[in-house]
Amino acid sequence: MILHVSRVALALTLILVAAVARAGDVSVDLAPDPKNPPAPQMGDNILFRSVIRNGGPTTVDGVIGWLSLVQIDPGAEQPVDLEDWSAHKAVTATALKPGETLVAEWPLRLIQSGNYRVVVSVVSRDGGGIATSPFADFEVREKPVVESTRVLPVAVGLPLLIVAALLWRRKAA
Amino acid sequence: MLIEIDKLALSIRGVAILHDVRLSLGEGEIYGLIGPNGAGKSTTIAAALGLLAPAAGTVRVFGRDPRREARAVHAGLGILPEQGGFYDWMTCERYLTFFARLHGRSLSQSELRDRLARVGLAPRPGQPIGSYSRGMRQRLGLARALLNDPLLLILDEPTSGLDPRGRRDIHDVLLALAERGVGILFSTHLLDDVDRLCRRIGIIVEGRTVAEGDVAELLRSKSCVQRYRLRLAGEPPRAEVSHVKIVALDGGWWTLDLDPARPPQAVWHDLIAAGWQIVELRREGGGLEDLYLALTERRVA
Amino acid sequence: MNPILLIASKESGELLLSTRGLACLLAMAVVLSGFGLLLVGDTELSLLDNAQVVYDMAGIVTALGALLALVVGVDTVAGERERGSLVPLLLTPVSRDSILLGKLGGVAIAWVAMYGLAAPYLWAVGSTGQNLVDGLAAVALLGTPVVLGFGFLGIGLGACLAMARTGLLIGLIALVLAASPLLLGPSLRQSAIGRAFDAVNPFSAAVNAYDAVIIDSVPIATQMLNLGTTAVWLALALWFARTSFHRVAR
Repeated sequence: MILHVSRVALALTLILVAAVARAGDVSVDLAPDPKNPPAPQMGDNILFRSVIRNGGPTTVDGVIGWLSLVQIDPGAEQPVDLEDWSAHKAVTATALKPGETLVAEWPLRLIQSGNYRVVVSVVSRDGGGIATSPFADFEVREKPVVESTRVLPVAVGLPLLIVAALLWRRKAA
Repeated sequence: MLIEIDKLALSIRGVAILHDVRLSLGEGEIYGLIGPNGAGKSTTIAAALGLLAPAAGTVRVFGRDPRREARAVHAGLGILPEQGGFYDWMTCERYLTFFARLHGRSLSQSELRDRLARVGLAPRPGQPIGSYSRGMRQRLGLARALLNDPLLLILDEPTSGLDPRGRRDIHDVLLALAERGVGILFSTHLLDDVDRLCRRIGIIVEGRTVAEGDVAELLRSKSCVQRYRLRLAGEPPRAEVSHVKIVALDGGWWTLDLDPARPPQAVWHDLIAAGWQIVELRREGGGLEDLYLALTERRVA
Repeated sequence: MNPILLIASKESGELLLSTRGLACLLAMAVVLSGFGLLLVGDTELSLLDNAQVVYDMAGIVTALGALLALVVGVDTVAGERERGSLVPLLLTPVSRDSILLGKLGGVAIAWVAMYGLAAPYLWAVGSTGQNLVDGLAAVALLGTPVVLGFGFLGIGLGACLAMARTGLLIGLIALVLAASPLLLGPSLRQSAIGRAFDAVNPFSAAVNAYDAVIIDSVPIATQMLNLGTTAVWLALALWFARTSFHRVAR
């Protein structure tokens, strides 16, 4: 029996924020890849896509978009260092002309179990604000590093076997 | 001669251990090698076995150099070290079979039983050596030493730690072997063993042989009489008994000095045959003990 | 029976049939079980393929095997000498080299026993099976010369030192030094001294090979340089054991 806390996997949910903040006229959205596993667990790889759009009349220079990840488990709310989760943490564009879009993919490797929220933020060099995408929440199920059904019989059984041999030898003596 | 050692000097890691050791042992002889702790007895034995190289002097075993002709020498040797050297997890049968095979022999079950019986060993079937008493271990060690039917047996403290019955049993085995012509060299602290078994001894002190040769001659030359006190059932006969000098009579105890040329057991036999009714017997010192103490007095390690 | 095989089987009996030897094996099993049970409780790893745990377990098996071989090696000469059983063996018609080969065989049998004990643990932790078979092969191919080398070192130390305790102490210091790559972080190993030490250390050679085969999935045939380092170590240890054993007097 695999010892891990089994939870009912929730489908990826997309929580739409009512209003999208803008960095000037820049907007950004966020959507999970349809091919993401419906109930991801530790070790899985998932993907999000963003489209950064310049909806204004003027060119926006020095666009930077980055991914943020927070854990939202009650009592364990904290930002997550993306060090092991993703090698792809930011995208940049020298300039975004009016109507031009910048598509970014955000692959994530799921390192630890828990409930998480991911969001993409965008600023520009000149911009007077920050644009954020809608949030995307997802749950990562626990996965045991090793299978206790294999380890326990060996870890307990082998020493006991040797103890039995020891006792048998002492009895013979 | 089975062993001839003359003017042996030996160093270990630059430290001189033996300076001048001599020893000779012939067929059927039991030779006692005695001396204080650290005198060099074990080192002398190691040299005789060819395990250590002499710095000077000669060592001959069966007329051969034990270092150059180790294989030929070892083929005729049996050894019982002080610690015995056993594998506690083995049974005695397995132990003896192991060593027999190393000596190129195979032992049948009946031969095995016979060899164990010769040394008076009768363990439970399957009993591991680790559970043996000291006496059983010594008997097993003897059985192992005798596996290759050696001409020469070298024993280091063979009776130490044994009870009087155990010691007497080992003595009987050794005397029987000597009668068959096996030469026996044994190192010991127990002068009673030497008294009973040895016709010739060597005393080593600080790496030198200080006395070596026939026990009776050594005692005579050093004037070491053996003194005993006897209590008798009545008056002793008037006739003189040779080899005995009556020294005193005190409170019913007769003090006698024995001629060192005659073993005490033989003297008691003579006295009883002459009509002496000996009720109790006590040793008053003298003899080998006096000789040993006199020679080792200022040199104890 | 050939005297070498006879002595080797006696040595293996000391390990597998004596209470002292069985207690040694029990201690090894307890360490492996402890590590295995720790892993069962772990829910987080930076590398989620359990190649990492198989790699870690392979390193521990090699270290424990070397420790066992060292203890057996020292005991088979110095311990026998203290128990008085070495001289009767030296006085048999069997040559020194044959006696030594028998004792070396005893060390080899100890490693086989250790490997046999460790294999179920490696199987148990290698549940996703990444390179488990290659890992077992790497431990057999590269772990063996490392472990046997420490066994032969133990024989040499037991032969040239007066007391078993001293031989064991010196051997343990050598083992800890050699196994230090398991404990040091990658940055320390990348220093000039660390790299120089790594180049000649048989333990590093084995551990680097495990890393390549188990974690990086590189074919074991590419690890010949590491195998060469362990083979040189084995040859040196064998030379030391033979030279020392031929000088044993009593």
